[in-house]
Amino acid sequence: MAELYVKPGEGARVVGLTVPFAAAGNQERGWNDPPQFSYGLQAQAGGPRRTPLTRRPPPSPVGAPPGAPPDPANAHAASTALHHSPALLGPPPLGPPPLGPVGHAPWVESRRLSTAAGLEECSPEECSVPANVVLTPLREALDACCPTVQKQVCDDIGRRLTVLGDAWAQGKLSTPVRKRMSLLVQELQQQHWDTADEIHRSLMVDHVNEVSQWLVGVKRLIAEMRSLPAAEPAAVTDGSTEAGPIQEDP
Amino acid sequence: MLLISHAYGPPESPACSDKVILEHLQLQSFCSPMATYLEFIQQNEERDGVRFSWNVWPSSRLEATRMVVPLACLLTPLKERLDLPPVQYEPVLCSRPTCKAVLNPLCQVDYRAKLWACNFCFQRNQFPPAYAGISEVNQPAELMPQFSTIEYIVQRGPQTPLIFLYVVDTCLEEEDLQALKESLQMSLSLLPADALVGLITFGRMVQVHELSCEGISKSYVFRGTKDLTAKQIQDMLGLSRPAVPIQQGRPLQTPEQPVISSRFLQPVHKIDMNLTDLLGELQRDPWPVTQGKRPLRSTGVALSIAVGLLEGTFPNTGARIMLFTGGPPTQGPGMVVGDELKTPIRSWHDIEKDNARFMKKATKHFETLANRTAANGHCIDIYACALDQTGLLEMKCCANLTGGHMVMGDSFNTSLFKQTFQRVFNKGLNGEFRMAFGASLDVKTSRELKIAGAIGPCISLNAKGPCVSENELGIGGTSQWKICSLDPSTTLAIYFEVVNQHNAPIPQGGRGAVQFVTQYQHSSTQKRIRVTTIARNWADAQSQLQHIEAAFDQEAAAVLMARLGVYRAESEEGPDVLRWLDRQLIRLCQKFGQYNKDDPNSFRLSESFSLYPQFMFHLRRSPFLQVFNNSPDESSYYRHHFARQDLTQSLIMIQPILYAYSFHGPPEPVLLDSSSILPDRILLMDTFFQIVIYLGETIAQWQKAGYQDMPEYENFKHLLQAPLDDAQEILQTRFPMPRYIHTEHGGSQARFLLSKVNPSQTHNNLYAWGQESGAPILTDDVSLQVFMDHLKKLAVSSAS
Repeated sequence: MAELYVKPGEGARVVGLTVPFAAAGNQERGWNDPPQFSYGLQAQAGGPRRTPLTRRPPPSPVGAPPGAPPDPANAHAASTALHHSPALLGPPPLGPPPLGPVGHAPWVESRRLSTAAGLEECSPEECSVPANVVLTPLREALDACCPTVQKQVCDDIGRRLTVLGDAWAQGKLSTPVRKRMSLLVQELQQQHWDTADEIHRSLMVDHVNEVSQWLVGVKRLIAEMRSLPAAEPAAVTDGSTEAGPIQEDP
Repeated sequence: MLLISHAYGPPESPACSDKVILEHLQLQSFCSPMATYLEFIQQNEERDGVRFSWNVWPSSRLEATRMVVPLACLLTPLKERLDLPPVQYEPVLCSRPTCKAVLNPLCQVDYRAKLWACNFCFQRNQFPPAYAGISEVNQPAELMPQFSTIEYIVQRGPQTPLIFLYVVDTCLEEEDLQALKESLQMSLSLLPADALVGLITFGRMVQVHELSCEGISKSYVFRGTKDLTAKQIQDMLGLSRPAVPIQQGRPLQTPEQPVISSRFLQPVHKIDMNLTDLLGELQRDPWPVTQGKRPLRSTGVALSIAVGLLEGTFPNTGARIMLFTGGPPTQGPGMVVGDELKTPIRSWHDIEKDNARFMKKATKHFETLANRTAANGHCIDIYACALDQTGLLEMKCCANLTGGHMVMGDSFNTSLFKQTFQRVFNKGLNGEFRMAFGASLDVKTSRELKIAGAIGPCISLNAKGPCVSENELGIGGTSQWKICSLDPSTTLAIYFEVVNQHNAPIPQGGRGAVQFVTQYQHSSTQKRIRVTTIARNWADAQSQLQHIEAAFDQEAAAVLMARLGVYRAESEEGPDVLRWLDRQLIRLCQKFGQYNKDDPNSFRLSESFSLYPQFMFHLRRSPFLQVFNNSPDESSYYRHHFARQDLTQSLIMIQPILYAYSFHGPPEPVLLDSSSILPDRILLMDTFFQIVIYLGETIAQWQKAGYQDMPEYENFKHLLQAPLDDAQEILQTRFPMPRYIHTEHGGSQARFLLSKVNPSQTHNNLYAWGQESGAPILTDDVSLQVFMDHLKKLAVSSAS
């Protein structure tokens, strides 16, 4: 069944904040392991359901308990099927499925779109984000924080940014991680702390094995930036030194 | 009508329409009662989170017992209500010390004298000074009928932050430990930023890790074989410094307190980087495990230390102990199995033969811990991932008594575990964490009702009082329960007893009332109180039986009876419970069926009872009552979830839902019956714990032939995709994450479907029906048809 789900990784374009995807579960370690949903898919799951999937068929009167064969409804269904395709229920050779124009079953069609939406290839140049586009603003942000933040914390964040830089340089980071990091940095530069934090969470949930070592430093950086005195969006123009480097990048 | 309109303000106001509907229903002839009652039931569930077995109440004790299904309700105390903004003041309480009911829309109000009469004890109360300005046109929210459920924020400002204490087994395979470490690191990003976190690891020894920002990791090491008292643990950890005031009922807020606790419990935003490293550096338990042995795992002591640590530092404030374990406790208190691999862990067979050596002692150890935890208002989650049993049977009380989660998986490196764990930190549509802590539920009733007990993830608070019945159903003898951890779907079953004497007139006012008062710590750490007050009509069961009958909620009744049955099954023999359930069903059919004596063919049940027998049929076959084919751990796991889910999910567990996808029309629910398994259908079955997709024989052959890849058969491709999409919707929201089975006709995993459907066609009767309609099941199990035939025979028999 795995091939029926969209696999994570290459080719997924960021829609909004995160890429919705569902990967196959780990069948080697867990029997019938369910597919794994991305942070984005989990987050949107709270919305209304297309099909409630909690209905039950109406009960048969007790005089004819449910399932009492031969069920006239089933008989009818079978005969319709036979009408569609005479070979349907017979032994092999098997007849083909009923032909129909696309959209023959509109209920199927409309439901497909919502999972297919938002999964497009990104162009190669979009995917190849240079490391310094992400690292330079992060380092500048760290410099901005240093006057007010404990030295040890700054060193710790700095160390993690180095780990990030190394991993990036060695090509250890997958395209979605690099892409999402560049988005995160853009949001950080625009002082959209909540959005940046949300992207950090999505990275942590979807790619923890790639990012666990260094992303926590970025997370801390977002928190420290947020609590800087000049971090209020309204206060960005008051010429505070801390906010300076952040605004230089468009 | 007059009385009602008085209590509810303008009689035709839209807000009270459902109550009025019920009133009309009583007065009118029953032209189409079901539609109206279904609406009434649904509205009440949405607004108040309450489903009663009976929505018109029999007015005497004797008649109530003859109804067979007790007067009871399923209550979801914190049901998500996006349209219910909490009010920011204290509730007004009845001044009678034994009552203390909360002012509600059912109370009679004298606006001129500024008095209100309690609808439970009839005490007349003065309004507090702040209510001086009230009038008929200027009512406080709690008097308006649409606020039959209302939530108060009674304490604002900073409280003690939420606490998460990770207790991590290191006797894991490398792959599992790595996956678990990553999940724990990931969780640091999902926790509330100001939450306190702590870490205890265990294998042969137990290590309590000091968390500091200095980058030097220190830990306290305990032997895993010796149980320690809370006092000893606190002494050894240096937590019992002089003059730590521990006051019952309020979190410790003294200025020095954070200093004392900070070594083991630190705000996540401060130590996230160090804790990430600490977790990253965790190694497998270093003690060598010789061949043929199990690793020595000190789960009992590790939990004991976790409980003691929180008990000493943060009693009565929201805290989760999260136990992650990959195998059974093998040493010290709480040991479930020895370390010799040749001795397998206890099975149902061993338990029946009284051959489970460690079971009683281990259970006792964990029960003691669970009760201490509950007394402190904390909860314990168990995340057990292993292919063999891990001792959930012995440890279940830790989660069951404290409202904690229980998750059972094969490995920590599965999406089942990872996503279930992520969902613990899910937020609701309002952007708030779906977790609440330290709740107490107080139930108040009209004089004609008493409280028999509750079944759910709670413990008794032993509150005796005039409204407590002597007859216990579930956890009884009290009108208050403590629920240490709950979420918006946590649901309790509450059982009542009608005590009005036979032949006494219908109680004054014609309605009985119940009030549920839930005090809890919101995930924002605010103290909140949710109050739900409901009323239902009394009816004389002799002259108005049809009214009572029409107001029967068979879905609620099935779940309420099932909870009683499962509760009994924990202490009684399986066959006894089945016999009890059968007897209740037969009696119900005798009471409410229409039939001629000794003529089974004449037997009929009205629409409001029509599904009930088949719910009972499937319940009898369910893993909640049948232990065959399940390990003791699995049974504990299934029962744990059954005792806390809301009505919809509980019903799915009792009788799984089956949907059919075919070319003949949109997906439709079909009978959970072997006759529904047709060659040209795809079936989607939801059992709550498993999602099964089953391709019928023809569909499977078409798929093998590759029709889905041919452009002209795109509709076939869509047909294959439709159940996957629907399954995905369920998988995206369900907690815990279910197993996902994709199979087809003749596939070995088709057994998941075949074992659930009613075996209406078996190898025994196959040729009687012809081969086309459905799939025969190779079983000697009784089918629903046979079950119903017996039921009818017994119900109409003049001998019984």
